[in-house]
Amino acid sequence: MNNNPLSPHVQIYNWHISSLVSISHRITGVINILALSLICFWVWMLLLGSESYQIIFNFFNSFVGKFFIIGFIWSYSFQILSEIRHWFWDLGYGFELKTSKITGALVIIGSIIITVVLYSLRGLLL
Amino acid sequence: MLSATKKWLSLKLSSVIMVPFMIWFLIKIVTIYDDDYQNIKEFFSDPFSAIIFSIFIVVTFFHSAISLSEIFEDYINSEKSRKFANMMVYLSSFIIPAITIITLYKL
Repeated sequence: MNNNPLSPHVQIYNWHISSLVSISHRITGVINILALSLICFWVWMLLLGSESYQIIFNFFNSFVGKFFIIGFIWSYSFQILSEIRHWFWDLGYGFELKTSKITGALVIIGSIIITVVLYSLRGLLL
Repeated sequence: MLSATKKWLSLKLSSVIMVPFMIWFLIKIVTIYDDDYQNIKEFFSDPFSAIIFSIFIVVTFFHSAISLSEIFEDYINSEKSRKFANMMVYLSSFIIPAITIITLYKL
C-alpha cells in the first residue's frame, strides 16, 4: 500500500444526488439480473407440476413475497428511468449541474411513484 | 473499431432494445405473480408471451453480462480473478436463458 489518499472516502463522503443515482444504477442493475435469474428458475419450476408449485404460490402470497415483488418493481423502474437519463447524456444533453440534479431527483421520485401506482393499479391491469 | 467502442455500442444498443421489453414484463409480472399454477402456466405457454419473454431474457442477459464485466473492471484488482468472474458471468448469461427457452417450449 502506498500513502496516496483514497478517494472517495466512503465514511466522510458528502452525498450528492448525482453520485447517489450513479451508484444506485449499478446496484439496481445487479439486483435486477439476480431477480431475473430467480424468475427464470420460477419458470423452470413450472415443469414440476402444480403440487410442487404450491411452495412458490405460498411464497408469492406471503409478506416476503409481496416485499420481493414491490422491491422488484422499484428496482426495475429505477433502472428504466436512469437508463433513459443515460441515453440523453449519450446524445449530449443534460450535462449542466442544475439539469443533472433535476433529472437525478426525477429518477428517484419517478421510480417511487411508478412503484406505488403500478402496485395499486394491478387489479385494473388484468 | 476499438474493442472498447464495440463494447460501449453493444451496451447502448441492447439497452435501447431492452427497455420496452422491461416495461412490458414489469406490467405483466405485477398482474400475474401471485396467481395459481394454471394461470401462470397459461401465461408462459402462450406463444406470444413466450416469444416476447424469450427475446427479453436473451437481450437482458447479454446486456447484463457486458455491464457486469465493466463493474468487475472497476472493482476487481487481480486479472486472474477478473477473468474467472467474467467467464462465470458469460457462461451463466448463456446457460440460464437457454434452459429457460427450452422450458418455455416444453410447457
